[in-house]
Amino acid sequence: MKWFLWVAPALLLCSGCTGSLGRQELADAQLLFDQVKSDPQVLESAPRDVSRAGESLARAEGFAAHWGTDADVEHYAYLSQRYSQIAREHDQLVRNQQQSQRLQREQDRLQQMLREARLLSAQQRSEWLDEQLQRLATMETERGLVMIIGDVLFEPGSSELNLSASRTVLQLVQFLQLNPRRLVRIEGYTDSRGEAEENRELSRLRAQSVAQTLVDMGVAAERLQVIGYGEAHPVAENASARGRAANRRVEIVFSDENGQLGAER
Amino acid sequence: MSLRYLLLSAVVGMAGCASDPAPFEQMRLTERALEQAAAVGATTSTQEYRLAEERFALAKKNMQEQDYRRARMLAEQAELDARLAEALTLRGESEQAITVQNARIERLRKQLGSLR
Repeated sequence: MKWFLWVAPALLLCSGCTGSLGRQELADAQLLFDQVKSDPQVLESAPRDVSRAGESLARAEGFAAHWGTDADVEHYAYLSQRYSQIAREHDQLVRNQQQSQRLQREQDRLQQMLREARLLSAQQRSEWLDEQLQRLATMETERGLVMIIGDVLFEPGSSELNLSASRTVLQLVQFLQLNPRRLVRIEGYTDSRGEAEENRELSRLRAQSVAQTLVDMGVAAERLQVIGYGEAHPVAENASARGRAANRRVEIVFSDENGQLGAER
Repeated sequence: MSLRYLLLSAVVGMAGCASDPAPFEQMRLTERALEQAAAVGATTSTQEYRLAEERFALAKKNMQEQDYRRARMLAEQAELDARLAEALTLRGESEQAITVQNARIERLRKQLGSLR
């Protein structure tokens, strides 16, 4: 009869053991919480909801591990899921608002351009658009108009564009959208340190990276040529750090209005 | 030893039921969360808002029956249902705003392009 003394409390407690529903809710809550807590952007925009999700999850786990009822486990797992979902929605809202602000600035800019353009005659308009190009391009050379994307816009030793590059690239995209017949050649250059062959490859990768960014932003790939010149055609002496920095660059060469690009160098 | 164990587990098991105080504060919080969700435009067309209303109604019923434990749990769930409904509504609106802005920008670009 002594076994009965053990079975009775076990039976009694089993009403409190975590059932499959509780376990499922708990697993779902865990999964959701793992997602939001490992997303730094969600953490930044909804820190309180994320930490509440964690607290509720810990309580649910506590009840599941000890003598809590199934209802307790389900309850706190449910609350945890809700906090995670709220955190995610809130983060998405913040991101959308940021994008909205960017779009608003873009819209203001375009409206301003449109107002300016409408004041002009057809002849003036074409001159005005050329002026926009002049403003964008930094040099007029025998190769036509050339815009330089400097070394500072790349992560050091890498072909990845950094954040401050996006403004420049965005202007380029806008110009290309307004001038659908113009083509560009994207030329990469490096300084003279390292192997010439590697430099050629790095310069091509950097030019390719700019081209890829343009394509990502909606410019047709057929309008872009990519070439890597490596350490050839330096614009400054390679003896000084400053000169080398100037030599590490990507140049954007614009075609004329009819899509005629100057010859490669 | 086993008897003490039995008693202990019985006590732990009972603890939740009898001694739950009436969750007046939580009921107030939930009501406010529902009002706030409604204020930003959440309606019963979102499932989360419907859930919040249903749970809150049940919680009120449980309050009357003095089943405070159930009332508290339901009210806590309903509060977060309402807050999620609010967040979903705001996020949906922000997405619509972006769609409208994109269309406007597209039109402006076309107008600029046709001036050429």
